[in-house]
Amino acid sequence: MDPEAARTARDSLELVFHMSNILDTGLDRHTLSILIALCEMGLNPESLAAVVKELRRESPPSSSTETVATPP
Amino acid sequence: MDDDDHRVVDLVKELVHRLLCTSSQNPNPPSFTQQEYNQALKYSLRILSSRMTPSIAPDDSAMAESIKRRLATAGKSSEALTFADLYAKFSHKNGPGSVRNKWAVLYLLKTISEDRKVRKNQFSNRISNGFLDSALAGGLPTLFEGDEISGGSGEFGNSSVGRSTDGFVDLRGSSENVRNLRGFSILENEKNEVSLSGLTANMKKLKVLGDASSSLRTREHVEKRYNGGILVVSKDPENIRDMAYRDFVDLIKEENEVTEVILVRDVLYACQGIDGKYVKFDEKADAYVLPELIKVPRATRIMVRKLCELGWLFRKVKAYITESLDRFPAEDVGTVGQAFCAALQDELSDYYKLLAVLEAQAMNPIPLVSENASSGNYLSLRRLSVWFSEPLVKMRLMAVLVDSCKVLKGGAMAGAIHMHAQHGDPLVNDFMKRSLRRVCSPLFEMVRTWVLEGELEDIFAEFFVLSQPVKAESLWREGYRLHAAMLPSFISQSLAQRILRTGKSINFLRVCCEDRGWADAATEAAAAAGTSTGRGGLGYGKTDALESLVTEAARRIDKHLLDVMYKQYKFKEHCLAIKRYLLLGQGDFVQYLMDIVGPELSEAANTISSFKLAGLLESAIRSSNAQYDDPDILERLRVKMMPHNTGDRGWDVFSLEYDTSVPLNTVFTESVMSRYLRIFNFLWKLRRVEHALIGVWKNMKPNCVTSRFFVKLPDAVKLHLILTSRKCQVLWDEMNHFVSNLQYYIMFEVLEVSWSNLVKELEAAKDLDDLLAAHEKYLYSIIEKSLLGERSQNLNKILFTLFDLILRFRSQADRLYEGINELQSRTTDSSSQDKARLQRPSNKKFSESGSWLGEGRKDLTRRAGEFLRNMGQDIDAIAKEYSSVFDGFISQLPIQQHVDLKFLMFRLDFTEFYSQLRPSTGGKLLL
Repeated sequence: MDPEAARTARDSLELVFHMSNILDTGLDRHTLSILIALCEMGLNPESLAAVVKELRRESPPSSSTETVATPP
Repeated sequence: MDDDDHRVVDLVKELVHRLLCTSSQNPNPPSFTQQEYNQALKYSLRILSSRMTPSIAPDDSAMAESIKRRLATAGKSSEALTFADLYAKFSHKNGPGSVRNKWAVLYLLKTISEDRKVRKNQFSNRISNGFLDSALAGGLPTLFEGDEISGGSGEFGNSSVGRSTDGFVDLRGSSENVRNLRGFSILENEKNEVSLSGLTANMKKLKVLGDASSSLRTREHVEKRYNGGILVVSKDPENIRDMAYRDFVDLIKEENEVTEVILVRDVLYACQGIDGKYVKFDEKADAYVLPELIKVPRATRIMVRKLCELGWLFRKVKAYITESLDRFPAEDVGTVGQAFCAALQDELSDYYKLLAVLEAQAMNPIPLVSENASSGNYLSLRRLSVWFSEPLVKMRLMAVLVDSCKVLKGGAMAGAIHMHAQHGDPLVNDFMKRSLRRVCSPLFEMVRTWVLEGELEDIFAEFFVLSQPVKAESLWREGYRLHAAMLPSFISQSLAQRILRTGKSINFLRVCCEDRGWADAATEAAAAAGTSTGRGGLGYGKTDALESLVTEAARRIDKHLLDVMYKQYKFKEHCLAIKRYLLLGQGDFVQYLMDIVGPELSEAANTISSFKLAGLLESAIRSSNAQYDDPDILERLRVKMMPHNTGDRGWDVFSLEYDTSVPLNTVFTESVMSRYLRIFNFLWKLRRVEHALIGVWKNMKPNCVTSRFFVKLPDAVKLHLILTSRKCQVLWDEMNHFVSNLQYYIMFEVLEVSWSNLVKELEAAKDLDDLLAAHEKYLYSIIEKSLLGERSQNLNKILFTLFDLILRFRSQADRLYEGINELQSRTTDSSSQDKARLQRPSNKKFSESGSWLGEGRKDLTRRAGEFLRNMGQDIDAIAKEYSSVFDGFISQLPIQQHVDLKFLMFRLDFTEFYSQLRPSTGGKLLL
């Protein structure tokens, strides 16, 4: 990869990172770069987002989830 | 292909690792086990394989736009701006190393951020619901309660290669999935099941949790498989609560015949001016109402009615727009009216957008108290009232405007809206300014074309300049005027005047002067006023730009106009010519003319041929210095015979005329020329009187012929004769004093002074109005000072009586000297033998008296005595009348207001002869 391309890539990542911060996604640079790479490989962004969401939702306790999901 | 897959798998692995590392909020981050890791990995691969294509069409800018809007609506406008900036930079990154699939990245970010937000909201909801007391007390409980923590941080963190075998198998399964994901074959259920079998209960819980906030599709997908798990957890106390809620819902349903969703929809319809299923427009009440028959709570009914005010207002505005547009081709709505309609329609289209969004939201079911909001975007009547608060204000404004502008048009309409714009509320102010900008654009366009091109594109009579079809000479004065009703209040009166004059100048140049040079001046002005004044550049609120444009245009065009007037049409030369010929400034010419037309004019008016007079005028010009004047000017000089009555002499009807053509007749209008004519008549009379007095003097001045003749007369006759001729001379002297002083005053104090003022003012004139005013002032001052004005009518009458007296005196004096001459010739005839004696010196007259004794001499002496007595009496009468009339003149003169008349007084009474003669008048004089 020539230095020009590397620089562009770095800039792009930086820009995306800024945007991500504005949107308050809570992703760090590394994760973001992986996600970009996956996007570039043609993966569906919706499902990528779903993965991120699923894997990050440890914090809420299970009990509350169940209460909410109770059908009326 | 395999490479690609491996890469994807590697990346996913890495991603899962990182996510697990960073997301668990336990004090020691890498607290997940190998098993957990594997499960998570499998799960994520499954998710990735589950959806082939995104659910929306890829479009970078639309995506960026939607993110921006979302940020903006969330009240983070500065961040929205930053984002827009970043996006712009991002989208410009092309070529090697850049992100090709920009849309995917954006979409990813957006979805993640939305998910996070939803989750946060949910937490806060739950916390406020009070369900989580225990959870709050104990901090954040861990999700994986049942898990034995078997894996340490070191075990996994070191390398991603060291894995247990089943993990590896799973991974391979996943990699199959990835292949599927990439679109080579349809997802295989079996394989899924294989990989699923490895998932633990905890993992299931994880899914359930995700489910609450994930999009609809995910939920369906997961629910299919994990429904059982949730049902098991439901416990009795919740059921009781549920029962209570159910009862409540039933109660509400019973009370409301119509559900809120339907009411919301009806209200939305009503707000578009359409009758809903229940909410209908009631002509009697003049409002949208819910019919009484339908059973709803009073509060709901009132709320519906309140919300429907918007519909009522909308109906009104819409009706106005349709009406105006419908009658447009037939009647004159006017461009401003059309612009107003367009502005209203713009506002309405914003309103329609809002309604469309709201309608979409109205599709979402309204959750009852027991149901937690699955989507935040449902619409209840209350929410609707919040949504409607701003459009309602705007719609009210529009309705007010429609009401107040219905009958108005053009500038008046713009003015009316401008009055509404004087409002402290920034919302109202903004709204009004926005619509004013639209409404005024045709108006400003009219100003622009008028000022720069002189065109009046105003078929609907909306502009504040009105044109009237007039003849060329009165184009300037009457052709255009301001229409006060159409002048919007944001254009000041003086600016409007300037606008009027600029356009008028252009039209004047075009029509009267047939000049094309103004176009250059206008272009120059447009360039000088700057780019903001181009077509459509002017607008409401930019009064400065308008003013500078008008000023520039006015300055240049007026200057050009004056140039044309001065240089091409020689205005000053014509003024001078009028002064020289009509105001008798050219002395030799006047003298000569008086000499040669005098005999002709003494005839009765109806016998005089104007052609002959024209010939005489011509010869007067030829023989005076006037011949060197410009032939163009001389051609304009004509003889004019005024309409005459029986008994009028030629003197009464003769006058000179100066013919002016377009465009000069804008200045020298008929009324101006008639005033010049009055001045001419006065001056001509004065000249004639002076001429007459001089003519008398020629006869009466003492010479040796008469004095020799006197000597021969008998004493009685001689005495008589000397007495009479002396009386005559004294009177002549008095008259001459008066006439020559008056003449001097008129020529030097009046004409020359006024002329020099005029010249000065013409130099300073900036536009045609200035020029007209200067000329007007010139003429006015001449008329006032030469006693021709309104206020000095009395005095003028006396003056003319004096002139008449002088003329009568002239004829008497002529008769007297004719008589004397006759006497002289008779005497000479009868005493031819005494011819030699005539040469004798006069001191011997006593001795000669005897020689008069001859035949008929007595008779002659008697007749001469009689004649002289009669003449003496006549002259006495004239002198008496003259002195009394002159007395009146002198006494009335100081009453005149004009200060310059003091000079005349001073001249006439220089020796204080008159003031001493009449002490009463003198006292007045001294005052």
